[in-house]
Amino acid sequence: MHLFRHICFSAVAFGSMSAAAVTVEPEDSIDDLFKEAGIDLEAVTVTATRTPRLLKDAPVITRLITATDMRRSDATNIGDLLQTELPGIEFSYSMNQQTSLNMQGFGGNAVLFLVDGERLAGETLDNIDYSRLNLTNLDRVEIVKGASSALYGSNAVGGVVNLISAEPRNPWELNLNARYGAHNAQRYGAQLGLRGGRVSSVTSAQFVSSDAISLKTSVSEGGDYNQVYGHHSWNIKERLVYRPIDALTLTGRLGYFFRQRDSQPSSRDRYRDFTGGLRGVWQYSRNGEIELSYGYDQYDKSDFLIASSRDVRDYSNVQHTAGARWTMTCLPQLTLTAGGDFLRDYLMSYQFEGNGSHRQITVDGYAQAEWDVTSALNLIGGLRYDYYSEARADHLSAKVGAMYKMRPFTFRASYSGGFRAPTLKEMYMNFDMANIFMIYGNPDLKSETSNNFSLSAEYARGNYNLTAAGFYNLVDNRITTAWNTSLAGQQYVNTAPLRIGGLELNAYGRWRNGFGARVSYAFTREVIRKGEPLTSSTRPHTTTLRLDWQHKWRDYSLDVALHGRVLSAVTVDEFTSLTSYEETEKVRYPAYTMWKLNINQTVWKGIGINLTVDNLLNYRPKYYYSSSPTTTGTNLAIGVTLDIDRMTR
Amino acid sequence: MKLRKLCRLFLLVALLPLASCNGLFEGIYDSPDDMPDGDDSGFGFVGEGSAPATSRIYIDATSYTSWIYLDFHNRKATALEIEEGEEAEPLEWDLAIHRYDAKTHSGLVLASGLKELSEAAALTSRPGGAWTADVWTTDKISIDMSHMMEGYIIYAESFYNPVLSGWLNVDTSEMPPIYTLDPQVYIVEFADGTHAALRLMDFMDKAGVKGYMTIDYIYPLAF
Repeated sequence: MHLFRHICFSAVAFGSMSAAAVTVEPEDSIDDLFKEAGIDLEAVTVTATRTPRLLKDAPVITRLITATDMRRSDATNIGDLLQTELPGIEFSYSMNQQTSLNMQGFGGNAVLFLVDGERLAGETLDNIDYSRLNLTNLDRVEIVKGASSALYGSNAVGGVVNLISAEPRNPWELNLNARYGAHNAQRYGAQLGLRGGRVSSVTSAQFVSSDAISLKTSVSEGGDYNQVYGHHSWNIKERLVYRPIDALTLTGRLGYFFRQRDSQPSSRDRYRDFTGGLRGVWQYSRNGEIELSYGYDQYDKSDFLIASSRDVRDYSNVQHTAGARWTMTCLPQLTLTAGGDFLRDYLMSYQFEGNGSHRQITVDGYAQAEWDVTSALNLIGGLRYDYYSEARADHLSAKVGAMYKMRPFTFRASYSGGFRAPTLKEMYMNFDMANIFMIYGNPDLKSETSNNFSLSAEYARGNYNLTAAGFYNLVDNRITTAWNTSLAGQQYVNTAPLRIGGLELNAYGRWRNGFGARVSYAFTREVIRKGEPLTSSTRPHTTTLRLDWQHKWRDYSLDVALHGRVLSAVTVDEFTSLTSYEETEKVRYPAYTMWKLNINQTVWKGIGINLTVDNLLNYRPKYYYSSSPTTTGTNLAIGVTLDIDRMTR
Repeated sequence: MKLRKLCRLFLLVALLPLASCNGLFEGIYDSPDDMPDGDDSGFGFVGEGSAPATSRIYIDATSYTSWIYLDFHNRKATALEIEEGEEAEPLEWDLAIHRYDAKTHSGLVLASGLKELSEAAALTSRPGGAWTADVWTTDKISIDMSHMMEGYIIYAESFYNPVLSGWLNVDTSEMPPIYTLDPQVYIVEFADGTHAALRLMDFMDKAGVKGYMTIDYIYPLAF
């Protein structure tokens, strides 16, 4: 019964509860210790199929980062968290210190980030604003690597990262927290949860700031930058759930985000986001449910001009999304899901001629079938059609997968298609790059596509789990910029086919004496047509490690975690001139390793004291390039968290 | 009944944002079309400065291929193109600006270290210090940036005042460059022995476009 409640609860959090959920029976008791370690195979995931599935039953390998993992990582936003927990993920800087993601060869515009299944508006240099995605009020983060466009449409070329919100479990919950670290890095948060009758609410606010970081090596020594800009941000969220009757769940959400970056003495870069949404899930019978949703997301950029005290907006991306989904369990073993979405995408940008704007309408329809052929064999198939009005592009994405269990082994095989439609920016850019050259859009771009094949084997027994997964991607028409001689400027173009293959190994275990360990390794190899430059900076080998120990006494508990990241060197083809697409040179960036020790103590009722020593080995790059860590050496951070409600209980 | 009302409310709230398809809260931003005080009379010698007894110059120096010549005696600004590297000059001028570069008409410049123009107005005698004349330069006045990524920039040969041109430091060691305005008062001694006190107040227009120079000044200084 506990498990059943857990499934329903998690599904409502995502807003995609399936009737299939009610057919799942608890098979094994949950080992609390095991669960706390973040390797709970009985946990529910929703991202791989849009229907709730136990982690062990997800037909596509899904990596889960739990609330416990988040606390141990001492991360502030999703970037910090993913780098700490997963191999093959690197957040680095692109031009102007804008954050840029590389997930095993796929960039920020090829990995789809969702919050409770909802897309995010806005981008800078092909990446969403990751600092919007703080970790307050999160139940878990689910990561599915590989293409997922058959379920999620455009941008799900290389993977999906889905942040799932938590609901309060008690009549009232109040948490206050603060953290202070090197470079005057400050983080303050407050979260109030209320639950009564058929209503629950969570309100959270977080403030984050940091001074500029002087890197003490100059650009003349070969680096890309001398300092990291100072910044501060606010993130305020409200989430209200109302269940007027047992079968109907209404969820409303509002959010405001503000970030300021002190990149220039004379001006400040400002980023704001206004978001809201409503979702209704009606379980009209024991076997079926219907979901309707509406989402609004507006991401703005402005320049605050200090001399004239003016805040001038030069970018606004407004997305209205409406969706409908129907899920039905036709037979005890067959679950069908079908739905469609409407998206109105408005973009005003300083990169368009005359600071103009463009709009695009996107419609899609999808269907998926999950069939438990036997207790050991599960098959899944799905199809999705997307149409983009401005790009005049459509795309059909498919996926098929099979999972076979032979306890204690589970084998999975899948094919999935991915695509990314050309964006308004890529079609219509007309941007003067400081009188040096122009960057032009290209209305004739084709959609990027990816055909993803994956195979995996998982061994799970007791508190041990081993996973080996291999993948192979055929990527075509990737969109990038290249020099166009006739235009005498850069223009967005489709590139030659690319193959990305890789391997991922995971091993984790937990022992009764309180020790736990996890080792994850990722290998990635990219191959492009002979003669074409490979400008990607994907590191071929990356490893993350975690060793932890936890123990509880009567009024005191101690949780110590050692996190490590090991990244191999990488050789990159870099253009020697932007006015030629042929002249490149090979540049090698060094390997490095970073280690972090996190000591988390809980005293009395709900008083948490967190001590983090980052960069234990005092690593300092000889010079700072775009993907080197911005560390200046070993540093210390201290945090305090107070669960006020627990103190009064 | 209550449920029906709630569902209606739910739908109403859901439809509200649709009334603003292209976004909300436009009012929290300043419109680039609104002119700030002092900028609404066009370019040139535009009127009063931000401090009492000061005047203001506001010029469009966005072009890489022109000098803006300033005649303080007649309160006149003239933009002239650099044609094939040759500079055409008006008959009367005291100071000229190309982008953020400055030159004088056989004058001298002192970086006074004073913070306010009123402090310069209070001077009773010509201050001592490093009065600096223009220098001839072949690699300062950039007129064509389009070959920068190929490793070269095309310059015009010209006089250039290194002290006054320090009013805006452009650090190009990383991209984008870091622009640091030096707000101190510069005192210029013109060829006829008169003096002007200048402060660069801003180098951007109302929308944040760089190359629009706002200069507050006092001329002539009475010492």
